[in-house]
Amino acid sequence: MSMTAPHAPTRRTALRLGAAGSLLGAAGLTAGCGSAAHSEGTSALRIAQPSEPTGLDPHLESGLDGMNVLINIFDTLTMRDTENELVPRLATHWEATDEHHWRFRLRKGVTFHNGEPFDARSVKFSIERLIDPDTGSTIVELRSVDHVEIIDDIVMAEPDPVIPEKVSLFGGVMLPADHFADVGAKGFAAHPIGTGPFRFVSWRKAQLLRLAAYADHWNGRPAFDEVHFTAMPNPASALAGIQSDAVDLVSALDPEAALQLEGYKDVSLTTHPGIRMYFVVLDTEHEVLKDARVRRALNHAVDVPLLISAVLNDSGREAATIVPREAFGYDPDVKPPERDPDEARRLLADAGHADGLTLSFTASNKDQLVSQALAGMLEDVGVTLELEILEPGTFAERLASDDPSSLGSMYLTGSTGWTLDGEATMQSYIRSDRKRSRIRSPEADEMIDALEQTIDPDARLKTFRRMQEWLHDEAPFLFLYQADQNFASNKRIEWTPNVNGTLAMETAR
Amino acid sequence: MSRGRTRLLRAAVTRLLSSLLVLWAAVTVVFVLSRASGDPVALLLPDDASADQVAQMKQTLGLDRPLPLQYLDFLGGLVHLDLGDSLVYKEPVTSLIIERIPATALLAATALLITVVVSFLAGSIGAMRRGTALDRVVMSGVLVGQSTPAFWVGILLVLLFGVTLRALPAAGYGTPAHLILPATTLAIFSVAVVSRLLRSSLIEVMGQDHVRTARAKGASEARVLMGHSLRNASMPVITVLGLELGSLLGGAILTEQIFNWPGIGRLTIDAISARDFPLVQGTVVLFAVTFIVVNLLVDLSYAIIDPRVRSHA
Repeated sequence: MSMTAPHAPTRRTALRLGAAGSLLGAAGLTAGCGSAAHSEGTSALRIAQPSEPTGLDPHLESGLDGMNVLINIFDTLTMRDTENELVPRLATHWEATDEHHWRFRLRKGVTFHNGEPFDARSVKFSIERLIDPDTGSTIVELRSVDHVEIIDDIVMAEPDPVIPEKVSLFGGVMLPADHFADVGAKGFAAHPIGTGPFRFVSWRKAQLLRLAAYADHWNGRPAFDEVHFTAMPNPASALAGIQSDAVDLVSALDPEAALQLEGYKDVSLTTHPGIRMYFVVLDTEHEVLKDARVRRALNHAVDVPLLISAVLNDSGREAATIVPREAFGYDPDVKPPERDPDEARRLLADAGHADGLTLSFTASNKDQLVSQALAGMLEDVGVTLELEILEPGTFAERLASDDPSSLGSMYLTGSTGWTLDGEATMQSYIRSDRKRSRIRSPEADEMIDALEQTIDPDARLKTFRRMQEWLHDEAPFLFLYQADQNFASNKRIEWTPNVNGTLAMETAR
Repeated sequence: MSRGRTRLLRAAVTRLLSSLLVLWAAVTVVFVLSRASGDPVALLLPDDASADQVAQMKQTLGLDRPLPLQYLDFLGGLVHLDLGDSLVYKEPVTSLIIERIPATALLAATALLITVVVSFLAGSIGAMRRGTALDRVVMSGVLVGQSTPAFWVGILLVLLFGVTLRALPAAGYGTPAHLILPATTLAIFSVAVVSRLLRSSLIEVMGQDHVRTARAKGASEARVLMGHSLRNASMPVITVLGLELGSLLGGAILTEQIFNWPGIGRLTIDAISARDFPLVQGTVVLFAVTFIVVNLLVDLSYAIIDPRVRSHA
């Protein structure tokens, strides 16, 4: 069970430390000629995203837009790099010492923005605060952790193989224990202090959240002097913002909005692989859908490549499973179901539906176009969908409700497992005791338990393979696609996101 | 005289009581409707939250208590001007609202100013040059303004001045330049309504005896307008301006969305989509109070402008 993750400083880190000085000068020059709005001599990177944080206490933030801001203020123990490798951040090495212990070695010489040193006490404080029910955190990933011991050990009540991945984002933000004790939770949220590459400056709600470069960051000073976040819930505002040079980067554009930017010569659209998986959950207890032949027929009927090119403007990759390609456990040998309407019709006739059938289908209005396209493709093989398209809030509420029938016989969903371990999505959508699951299979539950609690990676990979073969045969989902991330940016910024899509601006030039 | 004063006092008290009744009705409707719209906990928790987490969060937010109790608590809080804490931001609703009032007030006040100035000009020109080509041009403009949806005007202004000409900021807040496009967008409908009304009202007043007398005495057209007609013609205009202030606040919700303006309108929309009950209730209380106060002010201004109203109170 030696599972030491690799962990000398990466090539990229070493490079950055050496080159930071010269890049800084270059960034200063290019920033000067960028925009009239920022002529005061500092280079500010202006980012628009759909929403802003609900608050600045990282343990109380569970939304990605909020974390996009916080990840610049706080460092995590580990991190995903742009190649999607899990790399050292505040932890330099980590290993499982037995089934119940993960040991992390910490980076030395790191200080918080107020000068407080970062050490094992910070880790103990941060993780134990996160898992303490009194904190009211909604971040569930670390629920297997029992406590932290200061020989740099994280002790688990249940074995958990994914701890290093889970401390790469929401689960791993490090807070200063002493400062927190001084100012309390409210005081801390009003002016958060982390060890991250940027420090908090000010926040005027619905207007501007300002961060400034932290000169003493252990990984070198970032190229931009400031980062400004603005929430622009209306996509048209964000587009006008980038077209009129009021912002430098717009995140989370949907493919249709991105189309409108074509032809603007100063604005470039970049598309990066993303990990949000889209699939349709089929109710395997429904009187018609309990027949696996019908579920396979639906998969044969939907032409996903056509869906991606016609509806998503090619902004996605076909999926054979509900696990993203980049996640641990993805099995490249499992192929997407063949798109074959004749086979679909044959299977449906076999199952006694030669005259067609009608199914109810629920989706959020964010996915309206995809839903309508699906309905059209299924109509071709004799399956009529009764569409119920809901406002996103209502849809989210029904997803979380105790009544599975509120979402009809099938529903379209998107899921982002930021730990990038296949187990997270499988848990939520397959384990029989989960609200979103429409599957009652003891066999599948057993496999998920094994995935969740086995430390040995080879044994886990074997179970992942069995699990995906099971998915392929049983077809409890309509497998669709893995969505890309779309950004619009101008010439002032050069930046590559990592696959989980967080707006960590340390590497922006 | 003292009988008149008692009567005025009684009218004022009745007025105040009925205002409170309206306020109570408004907040009650919102209380009921917002709870009928669904459960915010689903939106606040991550996808795979456990039943324990849901129960704990409901308890923390006080949403597990019987509705009548929640309602009484809410009314009790209102009396003390305490609107509770926002579910999303975990901060007092009053302070979140107070933070956003200046932006909306600035936008609505600027739009109102534009409305008054432009409609005074357009209405007077129309009345004094009635039937001429100039009048027809102004009135056609007014008709276009009245029949064009504000959000569409807003988007056109953004495209023209923000994106194509880059003369004005397309969205945001902070400098006077940021104010121009949203305030214009917001004012367009009101300008149309008020200019038309002022024009017809002026035409009517200018036909009356005392104005004819003034003209006969040799007063200039400008003096007839300023000294004799405007004051009388402005009575219905003030009522409509009061109503328009209401629609400006309503219009601010759309305009603030288009221009990313950090005011009450955007706060309301965000609160509704997050099912943030206390915050939705708070913004509705604010809207209701504003309407009530504006109506009172309109009534009062009658009494000041037209002495006849005072004696009939």
